[in-house]
Amino acid sequence: MRKLINVTINGVEYELGVKPNLTLLDLLRYEVGLTGTKKGCETGECGACTVILDGKPVTSCLVLAVQANGKKILTIEGLEKDGNLHPIQQAFVDKGAIQCGFCTSGMILSAKHLLEQNPSPSEAEIRKSISGNLCRCTGYQKIVQAIISVPGRTEK
Amino acid sequence: MKRFAHLNARTLDEAVLYLRRYGGRAKIIAGGTDVLGRMKDEIVPTYPEALINIKTIPGLDFIEEREGSLKIGALTKLEDIARHPVIKAKFSALAEAARRTASPHIREMGTIAGNICQDIRCWYYRAPNNRFPCLRKGGGRCYAIEGDNRYHSIFGASVDGGCLAVHPSDIAPALIALDAKIRTSERKIKAEHFFEVGVCKTNVLEEDEIVTEIEISQPPVGSKSAFIKFAARETIDFPVVNCAATIVGSEGTVQAARICLNAVYLKPYRVTSAEQAIIGKTISDNSVEDAGIEAVRQAKPLARNTYMVQIARTLVKRAVLACG
Ligand SMILES: Cc1cc2nc3c(=O)[nH]c(=O)nc-3n(C[C@@H](O)[C@@H](O)[C@H](O)COP(=O)(O)OP(=O)(O)OC[C@H]3O[C@@H](n4cnc5c(N)ncnc54)[C@H](O)[C@@H]3O)c2cc1C
Ligand code: SF4
Ligand code: FES
Ligand code: FES
Repeated sequence: MRKLINVTINGVEYELGVKPNLTLLDLLRYEVGLTGTKKGCETGECGACTVILDGKPVTSCLVLAVQANGKKILTIEGLEKDGNLHPIQQAFVDKGAIQCGFCTSGMILSAKHLLEQNPSPSEAEIRKSISGNLCRCTGYQKIVQAIISVPGRTEK
Repeated sequence: MKRFAHLNARTLDEAVLYLRRYGGRAKIIAGGTDVLGRMKDEIVPTYPEALINIKTIPGLDFIEEREGSLKIGALTKLEDIARHPVIKAKFSALAEAARRTASPHIREMGTIAGNICQDIRCWYYRAPNNRFPCLRKGGGRCYAIEGDNRYHSIFGASVDGGCLAVHPSDIAPALIALDAKIRTSERKIKAEHFFEVGVCKTNVLEEDEIVTEIEISQPPVGSKSAFIKFAARETIDFPVVNCAATIVGSEGTVQAARICLNAVYLKPYRVTSAEQAIIGKTISDNSVEDAGIEAVRQAKPLARNTYMVQIARTLVKRAVLACG
């Protein structure tokens, strides 16, 4: 049986009928068509499916879509404004922090959450904030450098 | 995932009622980080008919100091515990255990009650599609005895004398070292008596019983607590072994001690012999050495996990030293 839920995704309100066994990840990708959120391990281990749910970074593969009812969701697609990349996205491009790109949406959303909580994080704090996101390509160094270089980040 | 019904409970009574109505065929969902993984992989032959969501029950997400105790609501997220200034200052073992659990995302989702009620992680037990119908699922044999048992018990087996799986929680040993009490919809249980092993069972809760609150008395004057975890990686990794300790000292002498290892046995493993070895002594390299030796005196490692004995011994030493 489908249940009706109301969710706000990237500022847009949706009313959707979802089955109890649908994950938020599958809702975003297959029902709403937002494929920027990636599907990796599906068990909470890789962070590719990271979205911001009511202000907190979560792995959307371990969230039931029915439980997102009434909540605000931010995905990678919600970051650009008027065709311009978000400063964190731009920093990832500028610093070469993207190789295959599979981890990128999750990395950027985890970094965004950090910079909102703490505009001047140390390198250790940056590494901790992305410690739930696995990258198989970059070796993390360029990702960390990209986050360090985000304009508006104040030196500690 | 297979089909199941999803029910939002609005009160504790309603959740209990649902559990009774389904009589063992429903499961509570809190953060969902353990139960959904279990359901996705269909690790056990019986699939829950319903998930009862308790996140819709108000008043179960709090950290308060009341009546001389610290009270933590069942739905409190591990990240909130790890960051809480009072828990960091006075109940360090718990704050550190929460900080070292899983990953930032899982800590934002996972709850304290879900952590202590989580299922085991034995890789035979967890293999998708019930590939290994072992003793712990009501089956006929343990696959770890002759198989790869590098992350299994070093203190013997249980469940018809067979299961060697370890309890995976980082929070559990901290609660036992801090002598916490677990309040449920029915009763109050000492953390030490909460864990019990059976077929698809890791604790003493009845089918219709729900954890509501964790309570820890104010630490006695002169006490300190610590938690140390050894894992293969810094993050997103279960403990290979962990250890929590509380030491009460006066004028440099240990008056009382509670030391608990986890991931070494079917349930958290309090090492009273190590506690005895340190009581009445001052904390020094020599005295903690004795505590470490006592802690693993009864160890019976398996073919592939002798290394865990050394780690357990070392963590006991380091946890006590960290309380010095
Ligand atoms: C990638 C990954 C890494 C992890 N690493 C670690 C780690 O390093 N250390 C560690 O300790 N854990 C780890 N975990 C386990 C993680 O699931 C728990 O830490 C988490 O706290 C579980 O809480 P939850 O609220 O998500 O539980 P849920 O999945 O919602 O529930 C877990 C179980 O508890 C029951 N339950 C939940 N709440 C209650 C209640 N109030 N009363 C009665 N029963 C209840 C449920 O029915 C279910 O059986 C990891 C998990 C993942 C996915
Ligand atoms: S150790 Fe326990 S859970 Fe693992 S295979 Fe053996 S009986 Fe099953
Ligand atoms: S797909 Fe969700 S954490 Fe890997
Ligand atoms: S860029 Fe390929 S996984 Fe990170």
